[in-house]
Amino acid sequence: MTSKEVMVIGGGIAGIQASLDLASRGYKVYLVERSPSIGGRMAQLDKTFPTMDCSMCILAPKMIDCSHHHNVQLLSYSEVEAVKGSTGDFVVTVLRKPRYVDVTKCTGCGICAEHCPVEVPNEFDEQLGTRKAIYMPLPQAVPRAMTIDKNNCIECGLCVKMCQAGAVDLKQEPREEDYNVGAIVVATGFDVFDASQIPTYGYGRYKNVITSLELERLLCASGPTGGHLIRPSEGKIPRKIAFIQCVGSRDRRFGTTYCSSICCKYSVKDAVLIKEHEPNTTVTIFYIDMRAFGRGFQEFVNRAKSEYGVRFVRSSPGEIMEDPATKNLRIWYEDTVAGRIENAEFDLIVLCPALIPSKGARELAKVLGAELDEYGFFKAGDILTSPVDTTVQGIFVCGYALGPKTGDIPDSIMQGSATAARVAEVLERSV
Amino acid sequence: MAVEEPRIGVFICHCGVNIGGVVNVPEVVKYAKTLPNVAYAEANIYTCSEAGLTSIRENIKKEGLNRVIVASCTPRTHEPLFRSACREAGINHYLFEMANIREQCSWVHQHQQEKATEKAKDLVRMAVARATWLEPQEEPELEIKDTSLVVGGGIAGLTAALSLANQGFKVYLIEKDQELGGNLRKLSKLYPTMQDTRDILEPALKAVKSSDKIETLLSTTVSDVKGYVGNFTVTLAKGEEKRDVDVGTIIVACGAAAYTPPKGLYQYGEYPNVMTQMQLDELLKEGKVKQAPERIVMIQCVGARKGEIRAMDLAGFPKSDTARLLAKILKAKKDEGWPYCSKICCMNAIKNSILVKEKFPQTDVMILYGDVRVYKEYEDFYSRAREAQVKFVKHIEEIPPEITQTPEGKLAVVAYDALSGQEIKLPCDWVVLSTPMIPHKEEVLLARLLKVPISSDGFLMEAHVKLRPVDTQMDGIFLAGAASGPKDVPESIVSAKAAAARAGTLMANKKMSTEALTSVVNEDECIGCGLCEEICVYGAHYVEEGTSHTIAALCRGCGACAAECPRRAISMQHYSDEQILSQVKAALTEES
Amino acid sequence: METAKLEQKEFEPTILAFCCNWCSYAGADLAGTSRFEYPTNVRIIRVMCSGRLDPTFILSAFRWGADGVLITGCHPGDCHYVQGNYMMERRFGFLKEAMDQLGIEPERLRLEWISAGEGEKFAALIRDTTQKIKQLGPNPLKTA
Repeated sequence: MTSKEVMVIGGGIAGIQASLDLASRGYKVYLVERSPSIGGRMAQLDKTFPTMDCSMCILAPKMIDCSHHHNVQLLSYSEVEAVKGSTGDFVVTVLRKPRYVDVTKCTGCGICAEHCPVEVPNEFDEQLGTRKAIYMPLPQAVPRAMTIDKNNCIECGLCVKMCQAGAVDLKQEPREEDYNVGAIVVATGFDVFDASQIPTYGYGRYKNVITSLELERLLCASGPTGGHLIRPSEGKIPRKIAFIQCVGSRDRRFGTTYCSSICCKYSVKDAVLIKEHEPNTTVTIFYIDMRAFGRGFQEFVNRAKSEYGVRFVRSSPGEIMEDPATKNLRIWYEDTVAGRIENAEFDLIVLCPALIPSKGARELAKVLGAELDEYGFFKAGDILTSPVDTTVQGIFVCGYALGPKTGDIPDSIMQGSATAARVAEVLERSV
Repeated sequence: MAVEEPRIGVFICHCGVNIGGVVNVPEVVKYAKTLPNVAYAEANIYTCSEAGLTSIRENIKKEGLNRVIVASCTPRTHEPLFRSACREAGINHYLFEMANIREQCSWVHQHQQEKATEKAKDLVRMAVARATWLEPQEEPELEIKDTSLVVGGGIAGLTAALSLANQGFKVYLIEKDQELGGNLRKLSKLYPTMQDTRDILEPALKAVKSSDKIETLLSTTVSDVKGYVGNFTVTLAKGEEKRDVDVGTIIVACGAAAYTPPKGLYQYGEYPNVMTQMQLDELLKEGKVKQAPERIVMIQCVGARKGEIRAMDLAGFPKSDTARLLAKILKAKKDEGWPYCSKICCMNAIKNSILVKEKFPQTDVMILYGDVRVYKEYEDFYSRAREAQVKFVKHIEEIPPEITQTPEGKLAVVAYDALSGQEIKLPCDWVVLSTPMIPHKEEVLLARLLKVPISSDGFLMEAHVKLRPVDTQMDGIFLAGAASGPKDVPESIVSAKAAAARAGTLMANKKMSTEALTSVVNEDECIGCGLCEEICVYGAHYVEEGTSHTIAALCRGCGACAAECPRRAISMQHYSDEQILSQVKAALTEES
Repeated sequence: METAKLEQKEFEPTILAFCCNWCSYAGADLAGTSRFEYPTNVRIIRVMCSGRLDPTFILSAFRWGADGVLITGCHPGDCHYVQGNYMMERRFGFLKEAMDQLGIEPERLRLEWISAGEGEKFAALIRDTTQKIKQLGPNPLKTA
């Protein structure tokens, strides 16, 4: 009994693309996303290299297509718990976590959040901004509904009172649902290396040392500062910014010896964005190899140097020290090209951390019976001939869940489409 | 003129700060409200968001709007999205118009905010004028044939053909050479697994041969393409023989070529032991090498990453050298080359250096590079090369290395070491040049036949570099493999499967609706002169009983007939004379 | 002295540009995505093909006061509809003559080919056209 239905696990750009391609050809798709909204990492970005398109602008139509498509059923705020069966006939148990809000009634007006007395750091803003206990993670959330974070909710009931649509339901319970599908696509994306593991860089101790994802949120118009780049310590505009590449990457100490593929490119993008906002700010990128490969990127780097005056220093800095009075930072480094030990002061430092497997990937792999590679990413069936198959028949993988083989957004999209082709091949052939 | 009284709703987008940071959006909203036939106007932060779309749908109902204008980004991005919203609220989506106040206003006038705001007002006024004349249209449906044409029999073409066949579609696979396999035929091993290319190629070739859904045509090229999505008629040429095939979709997998350096570049073509990586691969494969070379020097980025001279710090050099070095740099700029990074050459050089070390462990292998662009998990492959004692030397790329030859034929490479700033002289036996993948010359011809645009670097252009990497501007035509840019084998395979997915989706649905943009003949005015029939390249006009008629399924909406008709008897749906003239007038005057 | 300067406002021409959907309109979009700046004097009207442009559109534009008209399309051989751009090119010669007879400097009308990948070229074209029209001064029909 072959099911012509498909489950896609992960609602980032790769999962969204796979879902849309599958839905367009008539397969019913269940798109499972563990956070309250689909969108993934691409929704957190400000602009995408090398064209500098606004990320949300090009992502939003695809997100909306997913929510409207008659063949896509969004299972948001849900997680996969168990998988039985095999190709053509999987039974997947999905845990539907309680939002305590009825998605069919909620209009996303936000009055509940205005009155909620509890304020906590916002995960979507990488903890830089705040949200309420009843919240929408991003303004363009899909589905467009609120969610209550029960861990921080004090159960005051104000939201219930204020909601005009009667959408708040504090009595919701988690429930398990079984779905019978013919194929599964994994698109669980990535997390970011915890830079505090490198104590000499001061991340977590020095306020003005941030990660690139935090920077994206600061630069993004819908972020915690409305797109104004300001120093976390006191809110002044930074005038001397440094990027440090390969934080935790290509590093034998942490087992993340691979290159994350996209950091060189996005750091140059961020540098150009910063220079566009604040032409008087100097930006220096500390790199080992400038991996801006592929069409358009070398030209982009050239432009960054000649038109925007971004400085490139070939060095992997040793230590960062904070001036306790000014909260400025001093980097000690070896300029390998000039052959000297130098130090320089900056008022903001952006670390470009390694991209690591998504939290929970290991557990999911176990549930699916799929193998992971030595870095914890999903192992491809054959790196050359079956790049989007996992080691389990009928289960495919796309996007950064595959690891840094995925270069950047177009690669995630191509892989998403490629898994749709594989699913079609498998489901059609067994008829 | 439309039958009903127009009630136009205008939605002006801030697009975060993309528009709002330059154009005074509230001022434009205020202005829009003063325009004739505008019943409603508002601003949105992101009109394309769920909130924006809901507002459009709700206000259509609430305000009784029968035309909608969104002033935001280019229609080429979100027009389909906004059209859906209109349809969902009960408005025919041809009563929707956009004003491009981002790509063609705020983004190009970032330092002229006041003037940009005035321009935005003008663009909104033009859109309102056009909207007043818009009429509802019905879209014709096209049938999509379930056969596909794959152009190119390299690894991408083979993968696409197989995927399509497995999905249940018939495929014509054509290859201009006498055998299938493409560039893989010329390579011996593939990184990072160091598998033999035969291991990849042979199973694919076998599967293609045994598939009853794939018809392979060798020594065949495309000589003409007619028709449109779902219904292409492609003329295939094999020598003098021609044959027409009818297909629903086309996948272009014509691959890329390896750049051959011009004679004299690094003495290529002059000194016999200066060769390309492909030639080295050939040597290693055939076992032609009688005596192991003592040293091989590889030079990266030959003919690639050529572009503007990068700012260089000459501070570390003796002053007497500066003038000489500057002259060298200026000469280098004149060399022929491609501006992009070809992505795979670093890995390819490393692969070949490992192969050399395996065959000739005593040979010293040095790689001169600017940046080592090894990415993903290939980092370990790079480590492997270093462990095998391959030497990586970062040189100053702006000063191109010089190759000299002794009378005995021994070569030497003179370059500048970036880390010490010193000139280094490397005597060696072979110099191997790593060159980029470049577009085939035939690609340009193919692009013309298919009406697919070419990017500024010569490769076929995708519909959207981020969001639609395997689609082209032409519906039904997709790109796979290196035809759209340098790729290695796994990337070519993924893109080929993606193209097969996109083509498969189209064909699986069996039909699609097309835009209602066709010509309409006013039979009362038409005098049957036949000029439209003569000039229409699609054969969409025929004259019968003294009047011209349009075959809607063949008409592509170019409008040439409407412009040429001596009696102005032909009108174009959605691009009528009145609609265009209303925009012209609105651009120049404030009167309606 | 000051007042005289204030009254002598710099002439800002209004230039209409017809861009074809497939090539030049996309090229104009690319200029935007790449953030190449150019003067604000141009108003773009999108058509599917430059071959759509009836000469009366252009003459009406001048009649209604346009200081310059720019027609852009795909490069010869690349027209999305095969030869629409050739047909426009043919009309171009006739248009120049008609303008001359109407007392409008033929240099106010310009025809250029821009592909979808030529964002920088588009921006440069607008800068150049704006400058040239500025030098020609206002449309003589406006002051007549």
